[in-house]
Amino acid sequence: MHLPHALALAQREGDERSHALTSPPDTPERLHRRRGSREDVTRVGLGSAEGTAGDAAFPRAVDSERLRDTHQSVFVAWLEVSNAARHSSAALSRLEDSMSRLHGTLPDVFVRFVEYGLQQQRWIDAELEAVSRMAHAASEVEDPDMRLALLRLTGSRLEAAMLGSFLLAAWLDHLELTEVVLRECRFYSVETLAWKMFRLRDRLEPAMKVLSSLEPWQVETAAADLPALMGYLTDEFHATREDVPRAARSFERAVLVKELLETLALGSAMAMALPRLLLPATSLTLGTGLAMGSNGVMMGTQVVVSAEWVEMMRRLVQAGVISLSAVSAAVRIRSGQVLMAQAHEGLPQGVREALGDGPEVRGMRVTGRAGAGMGEPPKHHVLPKEFREWFEKRGFTGEMSIDQFCVRMERASHEAIHGGGNWKLGRKWPGEWNRMIMKALGDAETRVGRMLTRNEVLDIVAKRMRNYDVPMKFTSWR
Amino acid sequence: MSDGRSWEGNWKARLYERVRERGYDSLTAFAEARPAVPLYLLAEELGKDDLAAVQVLSGLFAEAERSKRVTRLVRDVLVRELSESLPDGWPAVLDDANRFKVAKALGCWSADTPESHEERARQVGDALLATPPPPGWRPLGPDDELLLTLLPDEEV
Repeated sequence: MHLPHALALAQREGDERSHALTSPPDTPERLHRRRGSREDVTRVGLGSAEGTAGDAAFPRAVDSERLRDTHQSVFVAWLEVSNAARHSSAALSRLEDSMSRLHGTLPDVFVRFVEYGLQQQRWIDAELEAVSRMAHAASEVEDPDMRLALLRLTGSRLEAAMLGSFLLAAWLDHLELTEVVLRECRFYSVETLAWKMFRLRDRLEPAMKVLSSLEPWQVETAAADLPALMGYLTDEFHATREDVPRAARSFERAVLVKELLETLALGSAMAMALPRLLLPATSLTLGTGLAMGSNGVMMGTQVVVSAEWVEMMRRLVQAGVISLSAVSAAVRIRSGQVLMAQAHEGLPQGVREALGDGPEVRGMRVTGRAGAGMGEPPKHHVLPKEFREWFEKRGFTGEMSIDQFCVRMERASHEAIHGGGNWKLGRKWPGEWNRMIMKALGDAETRVGRMLTRNEVLDIVAKRMRNYDVPMKFTSWR
Repeated sequence: MSDGRSWEGNWKARLYERVRERGYDSLTAFAEARPAVPLYLLAEELGKDDLAAVQVLSGLFAEAERSKRVTRLVRDVLVRELSESLPDGWPAVLDDANRFKVAKALGCWSADTPESHEERARQVGDALLATPPPPGWRPLGPDDELLLTLLPDEEV
């Protein structure tokens, strides 16, 4: 996993400062016109992430402070999931080693359960690396609208990695429990343990598959189902922990085993849900509800999710990076509100609002939803796919391939931009988008006398998109 | 920038309605009163959420064709591009970064230039890079002396 855009950001700000410093002094006749730009230069010097001083003379759509906050939140969220990934990665290696050294029946079976965890780890790591590269790329792009659009592109990967890491951590806890039972509780049926793990894996598999597919709508559905799935995993964990001591032949033994299993440190959010599982059944239905307090999300008098985390997520939700449903699932999982009885309950309004739920965000969801299927406007490549190779040579590969830069547009708008429809501008008007964009890029490249960099391409594309009012909300072609 | 709403409904009617509301009888008159202002800002002034720069441009070209002043408009569009990319005027040193800014302005300009003027636009770009104008050169409108020399009116 390589680091990050925090560095890139800092460096960028340094660059801007030096740029500001090397700008030629103002001649009197230019002073008036440049006033706005001078103020921006000052802001840049204070550490804003706005474009270069030269570009700042004309206002841009995206507020620079908001852009910096969004970038920072992506970084912090990335860091959090990365830390979890590092932890689970180390634990899985350790488990692989200890499981393979276990004697007795079915050792291979249990090693394979660890391998299943490692497989999940691999896709989560790959997505985190892609997020890191994309956020880095975003930090290098001049155009603020384009930077925000690139940050939004990291969203589906960040979301999938975050939710996937919750599941993986729970799987890891089950593996740890299994390993201890195999090692210390020889009286317990190995077959029972193996079957249980098979069953759990079968329940995990569809969710993991959907998350690793990055299909936005499926991921959102999976997110909504995730608390219940965590509830199931927690339930099963609890059941095993209760069941194993019961199989011990003597009472003393059973007490020892129970203690051993209960001291097992949990790495996943099941740690929050388990104590609730142990409460008398009546209090579960009372819905010891979550509430938003000044220190974060509270359950009674206990802070279950910090205010900083909530604030970070609010920014990501409002910037359109992460979906509210993913964040809601994360809050429920982190606060242990995952039990089956509560599966269909959402979060209280106060918490939802703190997470950025509002008419605007809901509107975004509704428009998006309109089309999980039929009603959705079709996707179009912004970077013409006929020129895929041209773009590949200029760095549009992998998570930055031209397939990532698609926009949804109504047929009529698309036709208008592509020169059809009522787009009659005189017979010599070269308004067709693909031709226009390739002409602008090709011509700029000839003028600059070398191959354009990816950032320069994006810079020109951002400008053209603004001029054509093509929404800078990218979606992947898949 | 909006969410692509510029393309909804009858944008031409909308465009001219806004021009009239602002007291101009043509888009050209509206634009000429705002020389060297980038096209996207003209569009924003006319309709922040529902008009696009390219629509303003198309209207300007339609008017210019009728009045046979296309060449003048081509110069005017270059002025707006240069002012957007190089707000401080022509760079003193044409290093890589500055060369890109010039290239971006010229590239976008040529993409917006009608076929009839494509070849001449290319020559203007070549000339500007071969014999750069003085540092700080910042044309304020289509009647800029240097631009008039490079791309004189031909229409009668």
